[in-house]
Amino acid sequence: MVQVSLPTPATAVPAAVATATLARSTGPTLPRRGLERLDLMLLCLEALDLNGGEALVWLSNSLGFGSRFPNRVELWKRRCHNPMRRACRRGDLEIDDAEALMRILCGMAERLYPMVRTLLSDAEPAELTAQRWELFEGRFTELLKERMNPRRSSVQKLLDPAEGAGERRYLVQSLALVAGAGGYERLRASLLDAAR
Amino acid sequence: MKKALVYDQQSCQLRVEGLPDLSAGQVGEELGILTGWTLRWAGRPELEGQRSHLEALIASVLPYARHLVSGLRRGFGEESGPIWIGPSDKGAGHSLRLVSGQSGSPSLKLELDDAELADLVRVLDQLRLDSRVKVPLAVPSPRPLRAGELIRRLPIQRRLAAPVGGVAVLALATALAVLLPPPPARQPSRPAAAPALTAPPAPPSPGQP
Repeated sequence: MVQVSLPTPATAVPAAVATATLARSTGPTLPRRGLERLDLMLLCLEALDLNGGEALVWLSNSLGFGSRFPNRVELWKRRCHNPMRRACRRGDLEIDDAEALMRILCGMAERLYPMVRTLLSDAEPAELTAQRWELFEGRFTELLKERMNPRRSSVQKLLDPAEGAGERRYLVQSLALVAGAGGYERLRASLLDAAR
Repeated sequence: MKKALVYDQQSCQLRVEGLPDLSAGQVGEELGILTGWTLRWAGRPELEGQRSHLEALIASVLPYARHLVSGLRRGFGEESGPIWIGPSDKGAGHSLRLVSGQSGSPSLKLELDDAELADLVRVLDQLRLDSRVKVPLAVPSPRPLRAGELIRRLPIQRRLAAPVGGVAVLALATALAVLLPPPPARQPSRPAAAPALTAPPAPPSPGQP
């Protein structure tokens, strides 16, 4: 006889991100491309969730980063290290801050995974998928225009309906692959690409 | 008594069967000996295998997903091995090829879309992070890629454009330089007689002091 058991809540998906108290981290800081991608992925999550900005702060508090990011402004200040931003901050983002942002991103991607999945699934009706993409891209474009420097070629490429489509899909696909318990390690490794 | 752990996602379900290793003091729902596993897909054939197959699946799928996050689409797994995963020939999807260990059984090729791949990655993540699974599974740790590896993201045309363009410009400049007529050789001019060009100094006038 086989006794079947499902994953217990302790081992279910948000567990890895729920206990996200960071020790003092050492290691390389995020390279420019890593900073850009981290902020763009957070922007994607904001485009998927209408109340994304508040949700990020709420998640930050629930993950134990309340003292690091007590409000939206502190979160925004860290994200402004992205060189694509209109109001870009000079200097490197501290690795502790970067890791906290990664934990928040993975937790948020986990929360929005059903929505991300419907965007990527071929099993959904094509017309419905097209409408969802249109909605997502509309919001994402608005956020890009509002916050990013339109003179940068990478921003212009992302805003281009045809040329940026592949990049936008790649961002959503990345969100699907970094959501969940093991996503953090993949995200961290990918953002540190070419950092050493 | 056999125990089974089940990990569910929307498109697939992974079921791992085994026993607690009593000699290692494992009790309850812990799984120290893995006897088999099955992977059920919605509308696809069910996959099953032994521990080595599961390890091969993890060792192929997770690095593939890791590289996809970095924007690198390349295959993982040995060509002659039981599992291979890579970009699909048919488009933006992914191909998962499984070779049966039983002689005479043909290999199976599954085409997955991005959502199905994400579901597969999540069930494998759930398995490897489950504290009840005491079986040491060989899972490669994700590491940042070097700049040399990242360049593979670019298509070969774009990678070759700069060096080929440079060589072409150099060849063109060399050809033009060769085609230009050489400048006429100038005769070395002899210096003229110095006394004819210089006036003799004027004699001092008598009225001057």
